[in-house]
Amino acid sequence: MQFGATTLTPAEESLRAEVRDFLAAELPADHRPALGFAGRYDPDFSRKLAARGWVGMAIPPEYGGHGRSAVERFVVAEELLAAGAPIGAHFVADRQTGPTLLHFGTEEQRRRFLPGIAAGEIYFSLGMSEPDSGSDLASVRTRATRVDGGWTVTGTKVWTSEAHRNHFFAVLCRTSPMEEGRKHAGLSQLIVDLHADGVTISPIPYLDGSHHFNEVALEDVFVPDDMVLGEIGSGWQQVTSELAYERSGPDRWLSTFPVLREFVREGAGKAVADDEATVIGRLAARAWAIRALSLSVARALDAGEVPAIEAALVKEVGTRFEQDLVEALRGAAETEVDQGTGTLFQQLLAEAVLTSPSYTLRGGTTEILRSVAAKGLA
Amino acid sequence: MSEHSTMLTEVAAGLMRDLCTPEDVVAAEATGWSDRLWSALAEAGFPYVSVPEEVGGSGGDVADACALLAVAGRFAAPVPLAESGLLAGWALAAAGLELPEGPVSVAAGRPGDVVELSGGPGRWRLTARVQRVPWGARSTRVVLLASVGGERHVVSAPTAVAQVEPGRNLAAEPRDTLAWDDVPLADEAVAAAPAGVDPDALRLRGALGRAALISGALQRVAELTVRYTGERQQFGRPVARFQAVQAHLVTIAEEAELARLAVEVAARNARPDPGFFDVAAAASVTGEAATVAARAAHQAHGAIGMTKEYELGQLSRRLWSWRDEFGSERAWGRELGRRLAGAGADELWPRISTGLVSA
Ligand SMILES: Cc1cc2nc3c(=O)[nH]c(=O)nc-3n(C[C@H](O)[C@H](O)[C@H](O)COP(=O)(O)OP(=O)(O)OC[C@H]3O[C@@H](n4cnc5c(N)ncnc54)[C@H](O)[C@@H]3O)c2cc1C
Repeated sequence: MQFGATTLTPAEESLRAEVRDFLAAELPADHRPALGFAGRYDPDFSRKLAARGWVGMAIPPEYGGHGRSAVERFVVAEELLAAGAPIGAHFVADRQTGPTLLHFGTEEQRRRFLPGIAAGEIYFSLGMSEPDSGSDLASVRTRATRVDGGWTVTGTKVWTSEAHRNHFFAVLCRTSPMEEGRKHAGLSQLIVDLHADGVTISPIPYLDGSHHFNEVALEDVFVPDDMVLGEIGSGWQQVTSELAYERSGPDRWLSTFPVLREFVREGAGKAVADDEATVIGRLAARAWAIRALSLSVARALDAGEVPAIEAALVKEVGTRFEQDLVEALRGAAETEVDQGTGTLFQQLLAEAVLTSPSYTLRGGTTEILRSVAAKGLA
Repeated sequence: MSEHSTMLTEVAAGLMRDLCTPEDVVAAEATGWSDRLWSALAEAGFPYVSVPEEVGGSGGDVADACALLAVAGRFAAPVPLAESGLLAGWALAAAGLELPEGPVSVAAGRPGDVVELSGGPGRWRLTARVQRVPWGARSTRVVLLASVGGERHVVSAPTAVAQVEPGRNLAAEPRDTLAWDDVPLADEAVAAAPAGVDPDALRLRGALGRAALISGALQRVAELTVRYTGERQQFGRPVARFQAVQAHLVTIAEEAELARLAVEVAARNARPDPGFFDVAAAASVTGEAATVAARAAHQAHGAIGMTKEYELGQLSRRLWSWRDEFGSERAWGRELGRRLAGAGADELWPRISTGLVSA
């Protein structure tokens, strides 16, 4: 295990201060905080954030990015998430697609997409899950067939977050038939324009009534050769590559933090009952400790290490904490919560009750993470 | 369950299978109400189960009403069945007031509610503001408790003359705020409350009703999750074959059974009225069961459970609301703990070891 306590350097601290100042100026005092990275979608905010250099931080300057460290990205992300900033438009492109393009994309693709991602202007969805393929991702059936100058893709993707508003999605598909015993071979990633002919996007109403999920049907969608992401046949290695280790950041433990803050705000000036104080104290302590783990992973990444198990543990414990926080505060508040009515705390609590089951599912379920982590512990 | 109870629940379940499918529940979310279902239930006398026949009710006891509510919970029935018989009907009948036509609801008294009754026979007036009344605006009458000159009264307040601020719980069931501004009331709408008809008794009945709804919903959650994980294939086998998923299935089954028996014991011990220990314990157990089982069921289902229209979501959103209505598991646990602590160490085991009391 390579978790180690780490401090922020003065430069990192001053970056944090800049982000806080920015948020204080940009977010109206009465803004309704988003819960997590997918909580609110606001392209204007994404562009403003990008103008400060806080999108595409992992992307080198020659592609319009900023070549910042994992810890610097951590610092910006945790401030944004703690404040409940509306980062839903750019976050997936920034966290996931940008680094993938950087590692596996062609020079031409990097020039085409990375500057737009870093500018907070190009947004990506993830085209992995299908009706019959969730945890068992290698079983995807969407298939691409070779044609002159490219591929035609046919299949159905589900749970595609924000496909109705984003520009592209990276589709995991079969480019050669499944061979017995080699199910991870023959998979590829293609970049598909969500506005291309043959793409049909239909909403799947989310548990809280919002439009978040979609079904994306692909029918003979033409994808030119220059939109193949990485190597044909290397799709599996790419989606499960070490980049996955970078996906255990503050977005995996801060999604519900704004609910805690508003709970404390609501009690401000009143005597805090003993058991409420206990709940606040224990949640704060846990967040503080999980943050130390998560930050240490970022520091290890900057040192060139590959903290795979550590990252899986952070995500497992972090997403569980996000859910536990909701239940602990519901207990402490003893209030009936309805969507869209009551105090800000009550409204956030209602939203969190309805959406929190997703934290331990999206991006790989707790059960799958545990089996990955346990193998590494052996 | 008595034979009468079994027959009752079978008829009710048959009716709901026809008129309260998951599609019907989706459709009812727009208005929070199913007219078809309510009419059929009312036709069969279900709303006033546990209210004596002599006063226009359908007869039966609290256990019958709870058995019926478990069916309603299972089907996520979008109608105020829990409010009509166990609560409003009981209070009206006890006070000798008429059982109205159409749905009837109740305001059990929440922090911030105001109920002022003034005047006397021939000149009653009502000023009130009550919050989160289940199906308040849909009901023809809302039952309130009010004191005049130190004497408690039951009021059957007509909603036609109330101002309504509509509200919804997490499952889009109506929870309306109603206000009456110095409205005259007919003598037929006010009566002295007999002993035992008080806010505590309403709260006990309200909590027992919610516990019964939860227990029914949990039975369905358990079935759905077993079915889905048995059908859903990943890695070449049903996900129910994975131990991690089996752990969820077992958790759900345990919680559902704890809830079901807790409600059954509490309801059958109500002869004729539910007792504090039984209700507090049942509410505490069902509230916790709702929380734990909903979490396990969502985890076992994966993303499909996060869609609004899938049946699990219809049930879990109700569980998340019902567990807090008429007191959360924490509130009941605390009250119960205070009483048990007050009674002393030697009373603890005898109390716990008193289960279903023979009739
Ligand atoms: C809010 C949200 C947003 C999402 N956004 C996207 C998106 O934008 N793009 C995209 O492609 N996908 C998206 N997903 C889908 C997500 O990746 C899947 O939900 C996830 O991979 C799990 O798949 P599943 O839902 O099909 O569950 P299943 O794989 O069907 O799992 C059902 C249950 O079985 C368990 N299980 C399965 N296999 C095993 C095993 N081997 N051992 C033990 N337990 C097992 C699971 O842990 C789970 O409890 C999103 C999901 C959510 C909830």
